[in-house]
Amino acid sequence: MTSLRDAFVLRRARVLVPLAERIEAHLKSLFAGLARIDRISARAKDVDRFLAKAQKHDNDKPKYDDPLNQIQDQVGARIVTFYASDVERVRLEIENYFRYIESKKIVPESESEFGYEGRHFILFVPDDLIDDTLERDESVEFFELQIKTLFQHAWSEAEHDLGYKPSGKLTSDQKRRLAFTAAQAWGADLIFDEMFRQLKKRAAG
Amino acid sequence: MAKKTPEGTLPTPSQNSPAPSAMQIGSIHSFLIHPGKSAVNPHEISGTAVPMSGVLFDMLKHIFDKAEEECQHNIAFAADDNGKQQNDCRDLLLDYIKNCDLTHGREVAKRLQGVTTHRSSLGLMFLMKGQHKGETKLVVSRFPADSGILAEENEKSLSVEFLERIFMKSATSYKAAVYSGKSYARDFWKGKAVDKQINSAESYISDYWIRDFLHSDFLTPGEAGTRRLAIAVRDAMNRCDDPQVKEDIAALHHLIVGMPKKVVNAKAILDQFHVSEKTKEEIEDHFPKAKSFEENFQFVPDEFLKHVFLRTVELDNGGLLTAATESFDEVFRSETVDQDEDVVRFTTEGKIVDQRFRKVKP
Repeated sequence: MTSLRDAFVLRRARVLVPLAERIEAHLKSLFAGLARIDRISARAKDVDRFLAKAQKHDNDKPKYDDPLNQIQDQVGARIVTFYASDVERVRLEIENYFRYIESKKIVPESESEFGYEGRHFILFVPDDLIDDTLERDESVEFFELQIKTLFQHAWSEAEHDLGYKPSGKLTSDQKRRLAFTAAQAWGADLIFDEMFRQLKKRAAG
Repeated sequence: MAKKTPEGTLPTPSQNSPAPSAMQIGSIHSFLIHPGKSAVNPHEISGTAVPMSGVLFDMLKHIFDKAEEECQHNIAFAADDNGKQQNDCRDLLLDYIKNCDLTHGREVAKRLQGVTTHRSSLGLMFLMKGQHKGETKLVVSRFPADSGILAEENEKSLSVEFLERIFMKSATSYKAAVYSGKSYARDFWKGKAVDKQINSAESYISDYWIRDFLHSDFLTPGEAGTRRLAIAVRDAMNRCDDPQVKEDIAALHHLIVGMPKKVVNAKAILDQFHVSEKTKEEIEDHFPKAKSFEENFQFVPDEFLKHVFLRTVELDNGGLLTAATESFDEVFRSETVDQDEDVVRFTTEGKIVDQRFRKVKP
């Protein structure tokens, strides 16, 4: 019997990697003229991260009983913007060109916390990018798109990397330090966005 | 031949059918839907299981079997108002699929009743479900119904009688939507829909059937469909060598930008404007997939203009004339100087506001 790892490795190579390339090219083509976009990328989910997610539990029960069909970020795309107000601008553009089943603004749970922020979508793969040689259950219907600023992106990449270190869970002090860096990223976004808007207003006379 | 998208080449499609031909109807439930939008005391909904043989069954089986073909609008359920992965109509249809009984069918019927106005009038809703090799298919359809007067005429007299029965007004004028899939998590978000009661009032199917009842929208957003059309028209213009095709496309541009914001597909637009077969083929060749040439979407004039903003004419004497596509023919007036040699004179006048050097042609 094919293991989940084998099935995902096969799907990843045959379906997800080429699909991610097409999605990245499509997003770049759509937003080629849009100002203050730092980068656009898309990639197939890493095998180990897929398996780790597939084994997650919710209230002591497995979260996924059919991970190949239930996990929706098997292809993840990212649009990184210069300033915080650009995230909203890109969100509106995305809603013009894609259908979605989920759109959420991710912010820390309470006002006294600092952590990951960004806009996440679960988007339908556009029909033009679907490989019609595949049976429907061989591929995916959706992909995840994250829109975030340079500072949000930099913070989340480092935080994600530290979270996957084999040395185990972070200590309370380390978590506080991470929250401190998140607060600095939040502050930097706030100030840069304010300055950008002030200068734009001044230039407009 | 594999079609080329602006972003890369896709493999050649196989003959895989989206719906297995061996799929048979397993059950049919029917409900009478009275207008109930904004009603304080909505009408009780009667429902019944439809026998799996007979004339009615044969008619419904035909609709079930042909649903993928007949339902031309690709649609997708929308997220809820807070952007969450939840759609009330999809939930009701999935509950019906899982339970397949009158109780769950009636919940779907209540939803339809709740969006049905007196303009839409009385209707009969049918829920048809089939399964084959792990794949489930659901067709939901609505037929206009009415009560009426029976008039019987013989040689000497005419008798009239009010029929206290509901009858289906037409077996061919109906609305339908079809969904199929194997996984409740991944599938049943996309479907196909049709309104065979109307020919041209696309806004009606959009509002009543697709948006209000199914809480869905066209799968391809207006901007995306319009962009695909505009890029195909632009690429056909830029890559074709046939001067007649180029002339056709230049003329077509004016007609397209004048179109209102309405539901269209590329083939219908080109047919509507009586574009030559050669030009039609050139444009169709620049669509990423053959089927997208006939996919419906809401046309967005501003989006079209974004992709064909400038028009350039190059002359054999080295001259290049560039202007906004919309106003090119007003900016540069042209007259034929020698028809046999295809020599044309362009004239224009205005104040010089700028001059530039360029490395490449605009």
